[in-house]
Amino acid sequence: MHPRGADYLVDRRCTDFPSSNHLPPQSRAGDHNGRVAEYILRKLVPKNLGPKKPVVTFQAHDGPVYSMVSTDRHLLSAGDGEVKAWLWAEILKKGCKELWQRQPPYRTSLEVPEINALLLVPKENSLILAGGDCQLHTMDLETGTFTRALRGHTDYVHCLALRERSPEVLSGGEDGAVRLWDLRTAKEVQTIEVCKHEECSRPHNGRWIGCLATDSDWMVCGGGPALTLWHLRSSTPTTIFPIRAPQKHVTFYQDLILSAGQGLCVNQWQLSGELKAQVPGSSLGLLSLSLNQQPAAPECKVLTDTGNSCRMDVFTNLGYRAFPLSF
Amino acid sequence: MGAVTDDEVIRKRLLIDGDGAGDDRRINLLVKSFIKWCNSGSQEEGYSQYQRMLSTLSQCEFSMGKTLLVYDMNLREMENYEKIYKEIECSIAGAHEKIAECKKQILQAKRIRKNRQEYDALAKVIQHHPDRHETLRELESLGKELEHLSHIKESVEDKLELRRKQFHVLLSTIHELQQTLENDEKLSEVEEAQEASIETDPKP
Repeated sequence: MHPRGADYLVDRRCTDFPSSNHLPPQSRAGDHNGRVAEYILRKLVPKNLGPKKPVVTFQAHDGPVYSMVSTDRHLLSAGDGEVKAWLWAEILKKGCKELWQRQPPYRTSLEVPEINALLLVPKENSLILAGGDCQLHTMDLETGTFTRALRGHTDYVHCLALRERSPEVLSGGEDGAVRLWDLRTAKEVQTIEVCKHEECSRPHNGRWIGCLATDSDWMVCGGGPALTLWHLRSSTPTTIFPIRAPQKHVTFYQDLILSAGQGLCVNQWQLSGELKAQVPGSSLGLLSLSLNQQPAAPECKVLTDTGNSCRMDVFTNLGYRAFPLSF
Repeated sequence: MGAVTDDEVIRKRLLIDGDGAGDDRRINLLVKSFIKWCNSGSQEEGYSQYQRMLSTLSQCEFSMGKTLLVYDMNLREMENYEKIYKEIECSIAGAHEKIAECKKQILQAKRIRKNRQEYDALAKVIQHHPDRHETLRELESLGKELEHLSHIKESVEDKLELRRKQFHVLLSTIHELQQTLENDEKLSEVEEAQEASIETDPKP
């Protein structure tokens, strides 16, 4: 059985796991300097508990790497204005070249907005990019053409989430609103102005929505406003999680909500708003979490987190940190 | 080949009976006493020596019997241990299965808990809104009031129309009367003027 790999981003952005069958478990991280480093997780029983070093590091972008996502065979990384694809199999060899590189159509050719979020839509085999130009671009992965541009945000977009049951995309941005877009009609279906609701807005922190996660009927969003659980059909905030620090990444896991933000720990919340556990990590401010949940490799089921330092933590059991990796 | 087995034999013998006390010495003694007995002279000595040899022989047989029993016992212990080992393996496999079962149950329970919490969260929000029956009742009563008021409004408007029409009739009759009066006055003026002209005419 070939366990699946893992890749994550360190020092600012996302961590991600490829769903490949053919590779040993790997992790990958991209950083602010545009480098991408790769680690191999073998059996998750570290021989020494000190930090591990990456297996391969290569310069992926000239500027910072803001987001990464992976498919079965490719790793897609996005930086300032462009998306590059790399083959997993090639990455282990030194001096690999990107498979392709694309730029979504911007309004003016002088704009080079950063691409803050990438999202894969497996049903349509397309990729959604969103970033500094306040639009969501859809790109078909087979042909590489940009099919739609969804406009509606008034300020740049920070994060994307996919709602599986109806093929909708949620995007949250600096303007404090979460917008739901229907992918079939390419129109904005619903807007939730998070900052306008008194229960969750915290004007001293700002209105920006830093993180989004959705579970088809429910959505969690946080950032400037407090971390809140919303019921999407009625657009009502149901639970507000009592944490002061703005959260940068949030995700649903089994019956818990995991969040990470300013502050050492990965927080585990129950849907009722109670804090179940706080697991400290290595960085002082955490920016991204990633879970490897592919069913083919249950022994590689890990959570990794990264943040403002050059260390990344791997959690095999959500209760404690197993070992750190260093960039 | 022979050297190997010799070494083995020597090693085994040293292990079992290194210092020469016990069975090995007994057998050597037996052989020596047998030879002595063969060469002995008198009947009595020979008989006592014979008895002594028989007792040594029976001692040797006894110890051999003991070792055989111990050997049997070891074999049976081994079998017993093998059996226990297999049982433990089975129970380990069973425990693994149970653990997998329990993990599935945990996932199920977590899903149930999540559903319950979602339900609770929505219920809390719903509780903030007033009860549906009350709202319906209020709506009904408001609707009735509205109907009642609109009835009143209609009747008032009807009355207003009626009065307007009546006033209209009144005013038009007054106008007609005025007109008729004016006409009458004009007619009477004309008549007077005619009469006055007739009066002045017959004079000449």
